[in-house]
Amino acid sequence: MSALLEIEDLRVTFRTRYGEVTALDSVSMHVNEGETLGVVGESGCGKSITALSVMGLIPSPPGKIAGGSIRLNGEELTTASPARLRAMRGPDAAMIFQEPMTSLNPVFTVGDQIAEAIMLHQKVDKAQALKDAVALLDRVGIPSPETRAKDYPHQLSGGMRQRVMIAMAVSCRPKVLIADEPTTALDVTVQAQIFDLLNEIQRDFGVAIILITHDMGAISEMADRVAVMYAGRVIEDASADDVLDYPQHPYARGLIDCIPALGRDDHRLAEIPGVVPPLHLLGQGCAFADRCAFKQDRCTREKPLLGSHGHHPVACHGIEEARL
Amino acid sequence: MNTSYILRRLFYGLLLMLGVVVLNFLLIRLAPGDPAVVIAGEMGGATEEMLESIREEYGLNKPVLTQLGIYIANVAQFDLGESFFFNQPVTTLIGHRIGPTILLVITAQLLSIVLGVFLGVIAARKPNGPMSAFVSVFATIGYAVPVFWTGIMLIILFASVVPIFPVEGMQSVKLRDAGFFVKALDVLHHLILPAFTLAIIYLAQYARLSRASMLEVLGSDYIRTARAKGASEGSVLFKHALRNAALPILTVAGLQFGNLISGALLVETVFNWPGMGRLAFDSILRRDYPTIMGVLFFASFMVVVANILTDLSYRLADPRLRGR
Ligand SMILES: Nc1ncnc2c1ncn2[C@@H]1O[C@H](COP(=O)(O)OP(=O)(O)O)[C@@H](O)[C@H]1O
Ligand code: SF4
Ligand SMILES: [Mg+2]
Repeated sequence: MSALLEIEDLRVTFRTRYGEVTALDSVSMHVNEGETLGVVGESGCGKSITALSVMGLIPSPPGKIAGGSIRLNGEELTTASPARLRAMRGPDAAMIFQEPMTSLNPVFTVGDQIAEAIMLHQKVDKAQALKDAVALLDRVGIPSPETRAKDYPHQLSGGMRQRVMIAMAVSCRPKVLIADEPTTALDVTVQAQIFDLLNEIQRDFGVAIILITHDMGAISEMADRVAVMYAGRVIEDASADDVLDYPQHPYARGLIDCIPALGRDDHRLAEIPGVVPPLHLLGQGCAFADRCAFKQDRCTREKPLLGSHGHHPVACHGIEEARL
Repeated sequence: MNTSYILRRLFYGLLLMLGVVVLNFLLIRLAPGDPAVVIAGEMGGATEEMLESIREEYGLNKPVLTQLGIYIANVAQFDLGESFFFNQPVTTLIGHRIGPTILLVITAQLLSIVLGVFLGVIAARKPNGPMSAFVSVFATIGYAVPVFWTGIMLIILFASVVPIFPVEGMQSVKLRDAGFFVKALDVLHHLILPAFTLAIIYLAQYARLSRASMLEVLGSDYIRTARAKGASEGSVLFKHALRNAALPILTVAGLQFGNLISGALLVETVFNWPGMGRLAFDSILRRDYPTIMGVLFFASFMVVVANILTDLSYRLADPRLRGR
């Protein structure tokens, strides 16, 4: 059985003042129907760019998909026409963003914005679309939805706005929903509610979810599988249980070992000493080498590839040492 | 939008007009010589009875504050005195000419906004494209070239090279007995050159402003959201982006209105347009003070009204400001 969404050897480059940099390098991951794929990694490692590539929304210029393939339901997206991509955004793939405060258009009511998404893809009139929008607002847990539908975004809290974004995203029953750090900008108390809502939505709509987050608690609760990214590459890819209980890559171990076993819920990714090297300074070796306690000679010469060295796919030369 | 705001805004407008009236009053008092002679017009060669009746009407024998009171009371009843050159009340004189000026100014304003914004939006679509370069060059030229020069060049062009537009006046003499529709078309025909001359400076400014404003808006998160739900490029540009980019344009449009009216003075003179500007120009040469003051009063009145309307429409256009 082939996966619902398959990303294979995806390469995305950006033109910058340092010349062309590679933001994503042979990124592969897949999502099966109805499951949740967690994507974790420090800021700047390419999570959002991966998501935007699927949506066909890489800002271009300066960015472009320079190689690889993205298949949704077997249909190749990297070569699809702009019109085809537009038709697919909504009914096939939808996305919610990190910044609920700025992701809604300030001059239109939230009801209108949801209704617009519906009318773009379904043959219904405005009145019906607005009715559907109210039903969706109700579905995502917004109290007195008829009144709220007439509100402008600035009249709603961040959590409410993210609920509106979710309502809009699922309005055309997408097969895959990408949630790019949906709770990062929200209050801790609201974060859990949004994750609960995503869980419910998945159960009711049978939608596959790509959950990009720093919240390992949410990953352990929601994700079936996890892809760990570092500096534009996937460095570990396995079931959520495997990654959380037996992280292999030194970077993944750094992330997960720091999380206290109890009360994981509201812990973010732990700090690992050092920083991600900027893209234009990436050499030929492992991008984590400067921060790695298990570095070998080979690590600075050769890029480690994602392969089954041991327990599950990991990109690391020192995997044997790392396990010691 | 609440009533108390509108009332407050109207009150400020009234205060501003009072300031203009006081300024007008001071203008006469500060002019050298006998105010009665000034009012009668220095070219008039007024008789002693005439001066006496002026002193009577303006209360020139009474204390200055009483004179101011009388003057304000007169203006409040729209009595702006008498032009001794025309031997007519100033309000009657202006009443005949304010229509053509309003027609010219509003046409120029609409022309510059609609064309300018359209150019700016097109340019913003490709910030490095040829259209963008054209807008920049055009904006610089349009800004640098004086109105009367543009006017004279257009007159030369259309008077001799391609005589398709009339270059003088507002109506053709030979159509004096034509029906309303024909007359209206005739006025429109006469309107094209002066309106375009007046519009061109502001057109260039609006093009540059809307390009900048659009570029900023196009980078915002809600534009990405619009694309993510499958909106077409046209809807992204002209609905989602322009509605937001229009807000600063609206502010500038309100501020420009005053400049537009003073620009109309020059354009009316160049094209012999029978409006208030032409009257002001002639009256300044004749030192017909009551008429000059009348023009000043009505021009200020138009600016104040335009500013109030701009302010209110700004609040209507931006839901974040409503109800404040
Ligand atoms: N518009 C852009 N121009 C140049 N580089 C970009 C642009 N957008 C993203 N990048 C680069 O791509 C990399 C991945 O970014 P992103 O996917 O947003 O990271 P994150 O994992 O935090 O979501 C970053 O290192 C960033 O430098
Ligand atoms: S490849 Fe080498 S440097 Fe990179 S994570 Fe593995 S051991 Fe460390
Ligand atoms: Mg991101």
